[in-house]
Amino acid sequence: MPPFKDEHILIIAPGSQVTLAQLGLPESFTPARYRFPTRMFPGEKKGEYEPYKIRERRQEVKVANGSDAPKEDVEMKDAQPATEETANGEAPKTEGTDEAKAEGAEGAAEGEKKEENGENVQTVEEIFYEEDVASQEGAVCPMENGRIVDWPCFFALLTHVYNTLSPPFHTPIMLIAEPVWSLRDREAITQFVFEKFKTPAFCLLDSALAVCYGYGVSTATVIDVGKDKVDVTAVTDFLINEHGRGIALEGCGGDYMTDRLLELLASKRFTREMCEQLKRSNITELLPQGTPLPGTAATARQDAPQAAPGSAQTGPEANQPRNQNGNTDRDEDEGVLDVAAIVSGNTSEFLANREKEKEKEKEKATTKKGADQSSKPVRLPNSKKEKATFQYHEFVRLEPEKDAPSGPGRFIRHARDIEIGIERFLAATPKQTAGERLSSGILEDIATQIHHTILAVPDATKRSDLWDSLIVVGNGSRVKGFTQALLATITQKFVLSPSGTIFTSEIPSNFSTPLPTGGTNTPAPQMPGPMHHPGGHGVNPLLVAATHSSNPAATNMPPGTPSLDQSFSHHRSTGHSQTPTSVRTVKAPEYFPEWKEQTASNAASQNAPGLNGPGGPASGGSHRGMEEAVFLGAQVASKVIFVLDQGLSKGFMSRVEYNENGPSAIHEYVM
Amino acid sequence: MNPSNAPSAAEYGGDEVSAIVLDPGFSTTRAGFAGEDTPKSLIPTYYGKYSFEGQGKLIYGDDVFVTPRPGLSIHNPIGRDGVVEDWDMAEKVWEYSFTSKLTGAKPGNPLHNGLNDLPEGELPSEMEGVESEERPLADSPLLMSESSWNPAKAREKTIEIAMEKWGSPAFYLARNGVLAAFAAGKASALVVDIGASNISVTPVHDGMILKRGVQHSPLGGDYISSQIRALFKSNSPQPIIITPHYLISAKTAVEAGQPPQVKYKTFPPERAPDASYRTLVEERTLSEFKECVVQVWPGPTKLSSTGPNGTPNEEIARNSPGRPFEFPDGYNQVFGVDRYRVVESLFDAKAAIQDPESLFPAPTQAQTVPELIKAALNGVDVDIRPHLLSNVVVTGASSLLYGFTDRLNQELMQLYPGPRVRISAPGNTSERRFSSWIGGSILASLGTFHQMWISKKEFDEHGPNIVEKRCK
Repeated sequence: MPPFKDEHILIIAPGSQVTLAQLGLPESFTPARYRFPTRMFPGEKKGEYEPYKIRERRQEVKVANGSDAPKEDVEMKDAQPATEETANGEAPKTEGTDEAKAEGAEGAAEGEKKEENGENVQTVEEIFYEEDVASQEGAVCPMENGRIVDWPCFFALLTHVYNTLSPPFHTPIMLIAEPVWSLRDREAITQFVFEKFKTPAFCLLDSALAVCYGYGVSTATVIDVGKDKVDVTAVTDFLINEHGRGIALEGCGGDYMTDRLLELLASKRFTREMCEQLKRSNITELLPQGTPLPGTAATARQDAPQAAPGSAQTGPEANQPRNQNGNTDRDEDEGVLDVAAIVSGNTSEFLANREKEKEKEKEKATTKKGADQSSKPVRLPNSKKEKATFQYHEFVRLEPEKDAPSGPGRFIRHARDIEIGIERFLAATPKQTAGERLSSGILEDIATQIHHTILAVPDATKRSDLWDSLIVVGNGSRVKGFTQALLATITQKFVLSPSGTIFTSEIPSNFSTPLPTGGTNTPAPQMPGPMHHPGGHGVNPLLVAATHSSNPAATNMPPGTPSLDQSFSHHRSTGHSQTPTSVRTVKAPEYFPEWKEQTASNAASQNAPGLNGPGGPASGGSHRGMEEAVFLGAQVASKVIFVLDQGLSKGFMSRVEYNENGPSAIHEYVM
Repeated sequence: MNPSNAPSAAEYGGDEVSAIVLDPGFSTTRAGFAGEDTPKSLIPTYYGKYSFEGQGKLIYGDDVFVTPRPGLSIHNPIGRDGVVEDWDMAEKVWEYSFTSKLTGAKPGNPLHNGLNDLPEGELPSEMEGVESEERPLADSPLLMSESSWNPAKAREKTIEIAMEKWGSPAFYLARNGVLAAFAAGKASALVVDIGASNISVTPVHDGMILKRGVQHSPLGGDYISSQIRALFKSNSPQPIIITPHYLISAKTAVEAGQPPQVKYKTFPPERAPDASYRTLVEERTLSEFKECVVQVWPGPTKLSSTGPNGTPNEEIARNSPGRPFEFPDGYNQVFGVDRYRVVESLFDAKAAIQDPESLFPAPTQAQTVPELIKAALNGVDVDIRPHLLSNVVVTGASSLLYGFTDRLNQELMQLYPGPRVRISAPGNTSERRFSSWIGGSILASLGTFHQMWISKKEFDEHGPNIVEKRCK
């Protein structure tokens, strides 16, 4: 088999919300070049799926654009996806509106693409199949909480991703596996990939392991906060500890925070979409427990987040009278747009201008506001301000126009500023309607799961390392202050008190000794061994010897039976004490400039939520931070597995292997 | 068939079918594919029951530990003696153990997985798929383990579940003692299994258990927990109360031995979890305690007697540095000689800490590990005793107590000074905890084993009684 080339590697990372994909490894690893929404639309025939909503439109109209030759509808159906694909794939649109379409903005639609369809109308009745690129109507989501719930749809999505990227023949495929996928699921995917894509090599990499590759660490606790679930995985020496792993802990993802905000703000006519955008905005922040909330009655409110869900109606409800003017619609008039101008002229240009005007207005507004509250310093950090404003974007349907009466409506982006009180700091507090859970909010649930997962790691000497190397990833964790708040919760609940840890110095312990390792933060391409860091976190044998000779139990032990395994002392849960004595997160690697910038710009411009068209390329303006480290790790791992190692360590399953052993052989390769 | 000969290519089918190995225990249930080195799925056998909005709900798996639910109560389908009591729930828990991580909730219907799409115009034969969809194990042979004293009725019930409910094409029921011996690479061994609810001693000869020698007693991990609880109750200066994490909303660090300063969480009585839930979660703290603090007195003599140079053993133990432990509510204390006392009664029944409220009656000397071994050896042919003594396999998670194997070695050398005593205890934690599963994994992936399976056809012909004839 000829060696694989960097530019041929296809990486796909399916998620419940977004599927990331990329063909080829760039010189310096970048965030995923393609982002596909993880949903498909039922096609014409049962069991077939299309990437976009296909609308059937029958109409009898005059030729709108005489120069266009009449087209058969069959052509329309086939040709249209291709052209749109390439348009989306290669040349990011420059127009503001096109890009500005939020992924999450349901019911949003795009204006100008339709126009091409509109121009092709003819005099006779004709069935038009047109792709409504932004419609969510009837969408089938193949994955829920990481689980694959609709297999045909999932496979259709994989096919769509594959076709869009159209890799060459000799392409190895790296697929990031969700922890919740069962072994049978993995077999089914393996079978599909080999038989449909005819790939020469296939690797299913567990998402937690991918994150470890991305961070360049061999031992870590990976907390992946998704849309509506959390996975907590303890990885020791690049091995996943399956036992006690927190898999798809439901109700702990980003949706929890949206729901909580909705619960807090529902009385102020907030919709779920508004809460979603509020959550994504940079004014929403999680403050560590005990931080006083800004405002006059800061100390009184402090207890609110800790109130048990059922105990009283105090908490957030009590705060509401303070925000009488919480929701100020400042630019109602914006909905009235010069429709004619849009229709006749260049839509995007027009909208871009409007955008600019609006920016100016907004600036004015904020300065005015600043002047109003002259008693306060102008630039307070968000966490000190009692009120803050975010810009809410919505898509408003325009009146149908004369020349395309039955066409799908056109939509226009519409933004307004909304002011929020201290509710924005309460996104992770316990819900009023906790439902089936008796929990105290998302952070505590996650903290408990982390505690459970680390306690289940059989090698007790590793537990302290695991506590000191938490990695929080996943787009659900993108809310400002999430990681810090989580750490604060763990510290509060689980970290042992210093008086307990003073005594630990009396007993032999080997976990806190810093080991002179060079390998932990090495960028993967320079990894000496393909899979393992040789000098990793092994137990220092000298230290073990020292601890055991000082142990009275060991010294007065007569020579035991010779068959007693001498090496067992390494694994025995002895000489270790309780954990955690401290909790820390792993620092993100600094040698990937693209990822670094992303992280830096992340907080600043979160205001614009997910600005990519569906299936379109992630343009430079999409601010993905290390939350998607799983994709960085996938690139590192593919480089190691496919290019450097080339199968020596059985990192991937080759086609030959598949032909011989069938899909169940993937069990040996599941990493 | 001679096991030392490699199987011929024709009969070797181990790679083609991935059998599922299910090793149900009292505390945890292990499941995984044959041929692998650890069970992929490890779940507590305990399950939770609660009602929400008038509907009864059940939860399985680790989730039981993590999220408290309103009115949650904890149950175990298996009785303290290791025999299933609640068959319906046992079936569900076991089913969860392999569907959650191995086979998936429903095997994908091959008609709809996109690989067998029919060309247009053909009628899809929907009905064929329906049956297989309901059967979680339709395409996997199943090897299960059982305790050596499992009654015939329970064995028949097990094969009925596997064949009729799960639709397994082939089944075998193996004794966990035999499997543990296989995991240690031995066909003959004396298997000492220290489990959660039971300790057992099983003489295995040439891959068969010697029924008359099988001994078991309830002094397992749960008994040690009860001893620790008894110790906590009698602790000075104040009794220690274990408050699980879920009941604590904030704690403040306190000095060792000082009463905890903690803010408790309260639940309205109609939503508060059941006492059984609290006990289960407390058990997590106790197992942490066992890992970090508890130690078995290494011997050679009992903790209560005097050592070789005249000083009482307790005195030596007292002078060795203690081990600190912090409880979830922040209370912390150093445990000195007490950490030896809680396990001493496994070897010396008189050393048991008295607690009249304990679930466990005070142990008798006959229930201790050395006595069980003695009784087991007395029950087998005198000729094979030396052979068994030189192949003592120690397994079970509670045998991971620090110093356990050393003490056992001492006790055996005193009981049997003549013959050579050899203890084989895997150093790897997971090998010790899952040895009967690992043995099953080895057995089920052997080509020679394939003639041992009870096939669906045989079951249909002979009925459940076939398990008595075939799985000895």
